[in-house]
Amino acid sequence: MTQHSDTGSEFLGRKFSEFATIKESLIARRLDASFILAPLAMQLVASGVPVKVVYLGHRDGTTLMVGKDSRIRDFADLRGKKIAIPNRFSNQNVLMHRMMKQWGMAFDSIKLIELAPPEHPTALAAGSIDGYIVGEPFAAQSELDGYGRPLYFTKDMWPGFISCVLVVRQEMIDEERELVQELVNGIAKSGKWLDQDMSHRMDAAEIVGKHFYFQDPELLKFVLSKPPDRVKYTSLGPLKKDFDEIMELAVEMGVLKERLEFEQYVDTSFVTPIETIDWNLDQLPRPAAEGSGK
Amino acid sequence: MKLKVLLGALLWTLVVSAAHLHLNIGFDQLREIVREWMGHKRKTLEVGFIPVT
Repeated sequence: MTQHSDTGSEFLGRKFSEFATIKESLIARRLDASFILAPLAMQLVASGVPVKVVYLGHRDGTTLMVGKDSRIRDFADLRGKKIAIPNRFSNQNVLMHRMMKQWGMAFDSIKLIELAPPEHPTALAAGSIDGYIVGEPFAAQSELDGYGRPLYFTKDMWPGFISCVLVVRQEMIDEERELVQELVNGIAKSGKWLDQDMSHRMDAAEIVGKHFYFQDPELLKFVLSKPPDRVKYTSLGPLKKDFDEIMELAVEMGVLKERLEFEQYVDTSFVTPIETIDWNLDQLPRPAAEGSGK
Repeated sequence: MKLKVLLGALLWTLVVSAAHLHLNIGFDQLREIVREWMGHKRKTLEVGFIPVT
């Protein structure tokens, strides 16, 4: 829901199951905006695609999961194990290398394999991997189903962790500035509302689970409450120091070939103080027609 | 008698037209069409996402 939802602007969510297709849709301009992985956004800009990061989707919200009965107790126990990551250009990949560095481990001491997020829990259940690191709710799914155990939450490994960012094509930024601003304001205000009260999170889990994500609302309620700081929806303005750290690590581990300046891939002009965004959020979005994600 | 037939036909036409609009077009869609005719085209932005945090 945004400022003009009931009268003017319309924001349509298009659901994907993996990031490669989103990337192709952005390149081909079948999409003008999307939530994508932070290093993937950097890589798109480095390869000449005219997009900019304008806001974050959330902070934290990623968990490193291992088998419930496995003997893995800390990060060092992951040596020689097979761990799934969502994508080579994911901040989860960067985080694993950051942790290996912190624990004095060589970058090849853990076997990282790419898997689409929805496949992570099933791969753990099948025993084809020893663990996985992914955005929620796919981490919590194995926990709720009884075969996964959280080894670390990102809030404990890299507080304020950035996973998904909102990127917008430059043409939209130049030609439809007000529309982009409305979207960013909507995310900011919705995030504040979510973090204000646990009952808001529970309401959101019901609506989003049934009408947008088509996932079990109980799973989303679990993610949004156990613990409550498992994922956060405030402080979503992109900060230079956060992105510089991701950039440095991504270049060091060879995910990105060249260093980009923050201003080359981020546009902070849409970040406004939340107190100045003045519209009534005291109502929930209308349920969308099935599949539209509206 | 002629007036009754005329009113009846008119009422029937209205009911059938309203049913057609409701079933085949939808009043939400109709409202959008009228808004566009009046020059208030709704701005749309499609945003991609994966159902993951």
